Amino acid sequence: MTRSAKGGRSAKRLIGTLAVVSGLAMAATGCVSGGGDGGSSGAAGDPTPGGELTVLLDSGFAGGWATGLDPATSNTTGANLAQNSAIFGGLFTLEPDGDGGGEIVPNQAEAYSWSDDGLTLTITLRDGITFTDGTPLNAEAVVWNWIRALNSGSTGTPRLQLDETIPAPDLGDEFMTSLWEALPADVDREAVERHLGAIQATDELTVTMTLTAVNGALINGFPTSSFNLIASPTAYAATTPEEFSLNPVGAGPFVVESNKMSERLELTKNPDYFKPGLPYLDAINFQSVAGDQVAYQTLLAGQGDVIEGLSSVPLITEATNNPDVEVHLGAPTSPYVVQLNTRVAPFDDIRAREAIYYATDFEAINEGLFKGEGEMSQTFTASGGLFYEPEVDGYRTYDLDKAKALVEELGGLTVTLGTTDIVTARSVITALQTQWAEAGIDVTINAEPLGDVITRFINGDWQSLLQTAGAWDPSVGIGVGVRFGSTSPFSGTPLPEGAASAQEALQNGLQTELDVLLNEAVATNDEDERKAKYLEIATYISDQAYAPFGMAFSPAQVIRKGVHGPGLDDPIPALSVNQGVLYDRVWVASGQ
Amino acid sequence: MTTTVATTSIRTEERASLLGRVLGSPLARLIARRILIATPLLLAISILVFAMLEAIPGDPARNQAGMDATEEQVEAVRKQMGLDRPAVERYLTWLGGFVTGNLGRSSVSEQPVTSLLAERMPVTIELVALAFLVSLAIAIPVALLAARKPGGVFDRVVMVISMTLLAVPNYVMALLLVLVFAVTLRSLPAIGYVSLDDGLLANLRSVTLPVLALAIPLACFYARFLRGDLVEQMNSADYVETARAKGVTPWKVLWGHAFRNSSFGLLTLVGLNIGGLVGGTVIVEQIFSMPGLGVLMLQGVMSRDTAVVQICVFIFAAVAVLANLVVDVMYAVLDPRIRYGHR
Repeated sequence: MTRSAKGGRSAKRLIGTLAVVSGLAMAATGCVSGGGDGGSSGAAGDPTPGGELTVLLDSGFAGGWATGLDPATSNTTGANLAQNSAIFGGLFTLEPDGDGGGEIVPNQAEAYSWSDDGLTLTITLRDGITFTDGTPLNAEAVVWNWIRALNSGSTGTPRLQLDETIPAPDLGDEFMTSLWEALPADVDREAVERHLGAIQATDELTVTMTLTAVNGALINGFPTSSFNLIASPTAYAATTPEEFSLNPVGAGPFVVESNKMSERLELTKNPDYFKPGLPYLDAINFQSVAGDQVAYQTLLAGQGDVIEGLSSVPLITEATNNPDVEVHLGAPTSPYVVQLNTRVAPFDDIRAREAIYYATDFEAINEGLFKGEGEMSQTFTASGGLFYEPEVDGYRTYDLDKAKALVEELGGLTVTLGTTDIVTARSVITALQTQWAEAGIDVTINAEPLGDVITRFINGDWQSLLQTAGAWDPSVGIGVGVRFGSTSPFSGTPLPEGAASAQEALQNGLQTELDVLLNEAVATNDEDERKAKYLEIATYISDQAYAPFGMAFSPAQVIRKGVHGPGLDDPIPALSVNQGVLYDRVWVASGQ
Repeated sequence: MTTTVATTSIRTEERASLLGRVLGSPLARLIARRILIATPLLLAISILVFAMLEAIPGDPARNQAGMDATEEQVEAVRKQMGLDRPAVERYLTWLGGFVTGNLGRSSVSEQPVTSLLAERMPVTIELVALAFLVSLAIAIPVALLAARKPGGVFDRVVMVISMTLLAVPNYVMALLLVLVFAVTLRSLPAIGYVSLDDGLLANLRSVTLPVLALAIPLACFYARFLRGDLVEQMNSADYVETARAKGVTPWKVLWGHAFRNSSFGLLTLVGLNIGGLVGGTVIVEQIFSMPGLGVLMLQGVMSRDTAVVQICVFIFAAVAVLANLVVDVMYAVLDPRIRYGHR
């Protein structure tokens, strides 16, 4: 499924604002075939131990770790997959399934299981894993980390409906002292006690988490969440919070050697890594660079070996034609989408929304702007995502006559179409403006800075916005719920009946039919049931004409010849924005 | 004994008299006056910067937290960034801290702002200082050679090249330099900074391209300005005619007389350019991944880290004010006709 490609995203993501930019950034990545051999690791020969690698990361996203690398306090956990994977390894990893897709595999965890009622998750840890300070990665350490994550304000912490009625066990003075000292001074101590009841170490290597509602997406969300990253409590206690944030201690394949926040992170091999013979590399460096152009030139200058998520169309074309580098794309997970705000005119009328569906020809845009290499989608995910359906029954495809008829029936249609100020997104809304104008729709387009777009969303001050939707698991991160849940600040779907605002709906527990479906889609651990629910959701969104979907693209990994590994020349689907790379298995062919 | 006391008393009086003369000198009064003017100016700048940060659209806490953050998480970030307090209170807290030397902590990284500045300032100072030296080292000889024979081949070539390079923005210049020297020739690094502690040569290699990216446009500007002024002096100034009449060689007239006069104009330009040059480091440091003040400020703006942005802009503004003060002082020192103190 590996394919060499080129594409384009000129997105510059602002630190911490995962969704808007990330989505558009990915969506702007046009896939163009050709070039590179697309060699998989299988074709590369046997891995060679040794060597050093420098990975170039965009300072606007993955290359920004201004809030540090302590999992409990970092607000960029989802962006810093590369750094976290190298330092902490992770309880679970998303591994390539050999067919362009991915699967969640226990890593530092040995196995996991759900209770019959689906409310209690039991994770068993591998025996004998130690942090790089020599202390054991055991169940107690996991509890310590999870409680810290839940109570330290990190935005990388998953949303959980924990069963807070279970009494906390007696954990001993030493553990509790260590925990209290690691928590903010103003922490809600009662909340911590309740969390300690829901999350327990039942033996040296077993942790349980008890929920009040089934969460079928919980494990799939681990790789992008702070819960996946287990740090050494002993190391934390031995230093200051600021120092630990700079030099965290985990049990991953590499150890922090030096860290200049959001600039350069240098790591050396962990000699006591729990996987025999790994990592292959002796050292790895993560270098933050100012965008695609600088990243590519730095790679060509020999100061970098890997660019994670290169996206500029011309540069990917150039890279594809360069015999010294390879370009690899994973299967895409996030298509473009025109969100329509059903809470305001004119899109509170389904006929106006239908007119937009019929007037929109994303295939033409894909051909014209992206050389036809984008993958068309009719729903909130693409072929790399779980529960992807290539077609949705009843989806309204391009039909200019129908669009014109609806506009006429409405007595004219005047709309504003906005997007984030990114080159490719601007091109797409310009093309949409032309298409919609052909149907008689009067369109004002507006590309604004990210902050303005977020403000528009939050204030409800928008009619239609070009965004991207999706994640590997639709319910994780910037998934379908963020774009279509009625109480999400970034959704334009109708509010529940009887609610004047999202806050009111939340307070009164009001839900729309779509909310119920979205909740049901995660309220089961049965993959088939989830798939059926997501198809229902896709159909519902299509029937209600909430948002026409377009082409989807994948971020590109550009690597120097001779560099191999899962997530590089063996693609893994993008979890939300970028692909995870399993750096413990990345290697450099000798002589390269 | 009496003699010793008398001598000591005379020396003390002399010192007091000398101090009085220095403090009462026109130069000292000039410096004092400029500092007095600069203080409210810098205060106004700090208020303006704070207001501008407040006026940036969007919710910085939401920006920082990400779209999938819960409201509780957003509120936690808001509290962490100190945004739960009124703007005026936050400004006054910053100002109070600034006056007492406590610059606080970055609301994003939690690191003390002073330690961030201590890490970053040497990089930016080195870049700016070298960029000025290099730009003047290029501009002065080029302008002198061009002015020696106005309209000659060298003059025309210099004018065309300098106009072309002036039209190139410094970020494009930076990328072109990387393309030539790092990608094609592989003679200099594309990114990164090597501290002086790791060796002078390695340090100079790491700063060469960013310094050139900053210095080349400046050198073109200075060369064109200086050449024009020199030609004017050589064509119309009486003292030039006098020198020529005395049999002074053309080169000596140019170098020893005309250049000396033209250097005042150049000095003014240099002073005026300092603010722009420091501002230029924001882009150049970013492109070359230099851990300087410019990158720190940019990161601060992106994450709405008020404590960091405030002090960075304040430093940039203070440098511009100080540079102009130094230029004024140098005028007064170099040109005996100028009597600031008596105006």
